[in-house]
Amino acid sequence: MRKSIRRLALASTAFFALATGAMAQQTVVWWDFLAGGDGVRMKALIDGFNKEHEGQITIEGTTLEWGTPFYTKLQTSSAIGEGPDIATYHLSRIPLAVDSGTLSPITDEELAAVGLADDQFTPAAAEAAKVDGTRYAVPFDQHGLILYYNKAMLAAEGYIGDDGLPKGLDGMENFEAALAKFTHDDQVGLSMPTGDRYRAVYSFFGQQGGTMFDADAGGFFPTDEDLAKLTTATATMARWVEKGWTPKQIESPAALATFTSGKAAFFIMGNWEVPTMTDLNAKGELFDWGAVQLPVLFDKSAAWSDSHAFVIPANAGKEADPEKRAAVLQVIKWMDEHSISWAGAGHIPAFNAVRDSAEFKALKPQSDYAGFAATAVFDPRTILAGPAAPLGDAWTNYIVPATSGEIDPAEAATQMRDDLNGQL
Amino acid sequence: MLRDRRKEYLAAAVLVGPFVVIYGALFVWPTIQMLIMSFTDAPLIGPGDWVGFKNYVRILTHKLFSAAFLNTAYFVLLTVIPNTLVSLAIAMAVNRLKGWKQGFVMACFFLPYILPVSVVFLTWNWIIDVQYGMIQYLVRPFNGGQGLSLTRTIPFFMPTVAVVTIWWTLGFNVLLFIAGLRNVSPEIYEAAALDNAGRWRQFSRITWPLIWPVTALVLTIQLIAQLKIFDQVYLFSIGGRQDATIVLVQYIYKAAFQQNKGGEAAAASVILFGMIIVLSVLQYQLLRARGEK
Repeated sequence: MRKSIRRLALASTAFFALATGAMAQQTVVWWDFLAGGDGVRMKALIDGFNKEHEGQITIEGTTLEWGTPFYTKLQTSSAIGEGPDIATYHLSRIPLAVDSGTLSPITDEELAAVGLADDQFTPAAAEAAKVDGTRYAVPFDQHGLILYYNKAMLAAEGYIGDDGLPKGLDGMENFEAALAKFTHDDQVGLSMPTGDRYRAVYSFFGQQGGTMFDADAGGFFPTDEDLAKLTTATATMARWVEKGWTPKQIESPAALATFTSGKAAFFIMGNWEVPTMTDLNAKGELFDWGAVQLPVLFDKSAAWSDSHAFVIPANAGKEADPEKRAAVLQVIKWMDEHSISWAGAGHIPAFNAVRDSAEFKALKPQSDYAGFAATAVFDPRTILAGPAAPLGDAWTNYIVPATSGEIDPAEAATQMRDDLNGQL
Repeated sequence: MLRDRRKEYLAAAVLVGPFVVIYGALFVWPTIQMLIMSFTDAPLIGPGDWVGFKNYVRILTHKLFSAAFLNTAYFVLLTVIPNTLVSLAIAMAVNRLKGWKQGFVMACFFLPYILPVSVVFLTWNWIIDVQYGMIQYLVRPFNGGQGLSLTRTIPFFMPTVAVVTIWWTLGFNVLLFIAGLRNVSPEIYEAAALDNAGRWRQFSRITWPLIWPVTALVLTIQLIAQLKIFDQVYLFSIGGRQDATIVLVQYIYKAAFQQNKGGEAAAASVILFGMIIVLSVLQYQLLRARGEK
């Protein structure tokens, strides 16, 4: 009862604040981990918000180092009540954050007070924002693995359809034939950083419908069938390496350079490289390119995906401030509503109204690959998942070396399962 | 007399006090806290329950910890003595130069030392890059014409990072050695030359024994620094098989910041702390004893 009164109070405060505009000037302290093209666009969004809400709400943004440094700082500062009012977060890492008590739950009523609800976001992201039915984040985008291609190269071999998009790449046989065809002289079929191969392996695992984690069924890769699917997915990438269709060892900058210098037909990478290509192309330094969803090589469409979202740190020991919280929710709503400019960074807005807008549909190549959001495979819901977490370590310790032929794929799969289950 | 002494004590306390307070608050107290934490199951932040020696047992029987220990030992082996020898050789060469030339060459060798580790990492990552690195011109003839990733091929990882570390840090050692060499009076060499002593004899009988204290110092500083190795190894192993090349501080980092296990990380820190103290004291005593002989 008391709780619901408090919620009511919270909601009505927010409502009145909105209705009367009499809310005192609020400063919202904001932390994010967005660098490069992401950082530039987010800064523009923050500036836009501040201008529109002059005299009411001001966002004070700080950008910190991506990965472990960001998450450690957020966790430790939240534990002593010195955290920000709002922060960006990867949805895959929410279980770990909740386990360490970093985040404050966000109720349906609070969302409703600013006119938001779960059904306004992609189902996968809305689901990933919750742990055991409690929401701890509001989704902002979905980002994932996509297939970049060199249009002229594909056209020369008849792989471009009448609609100007690639055709004939679905199915393992077809795609491997294409890889073989494009590999000659000093040119390769596929460029992809060695360290990111696991994202492709996880996508192929998802395309076979494998289950990575099920707490009730015994943890990671619960059945032999799941393990076999992981082995098949790993062996696929290992075969491409062995045949020379993709470089055995290549770092991120070199992999990007190999594609942008016209020495590879395909480039499989996260959609965050879209601004790089767009900028190069605008400067006249890049050929005609495009990006689509990963081809379906197994039973169904699937691609590794994660999501940037907004969270409210728990800030232990700090007195709750309903007005501040209302302001934070205002910020979240505004950001989601204006996420069209965020799509410029290659990400797919999680907010349906933006994703379905004519403006987004006109955005190329974003709208060409936006479909992956519907069939995306997120990291499993476990405290070991997320960027800079044990799951990521296991991928690079077992699966990545297996794709370069250093370990047998079946052995790597077993080792990965045992290592992760040992950490549960 | 007695009163004077008391006055002296007071003055001493006033002078030493601030340091002792700061040292106690910022070093001794956290160290005690760490020791206590190592016997609990505390997360990274917040209290935990007393678990006795469980963390220690767990770490010392953990395969990854043995790997971290062996990798650290290997890295120490690859860097401490080679770095000292190379620094000494360079210092002796630089010492023969005169005037501005000496200053210029010394500055050249010292320059890498002032670079932050991230810059060193980025620079070398391009130098050794498989597709575009210059080092690959040397590597390809030995690898059947193919490029080879020196940081992703596990057996080459530590030697590569060791070379980079030596390149990066030798400037400071060169400086120490040059200071040592300048302290050796030229008359001794003149006398030796009159007695027909050759270059090698001058080095082995005069230079080497007289700069031995500096050598012992360099070796000890090196040993401590390399036992605490983290930055370069971590940076070069990002995106690779980190478990295969893990070092002790990285193990602590992983436990504390990635796995949220404060207690285990504290226990590992205590073990490393003990190891560094024992090894460096032992080494320094050993080297001093040799020098006095």
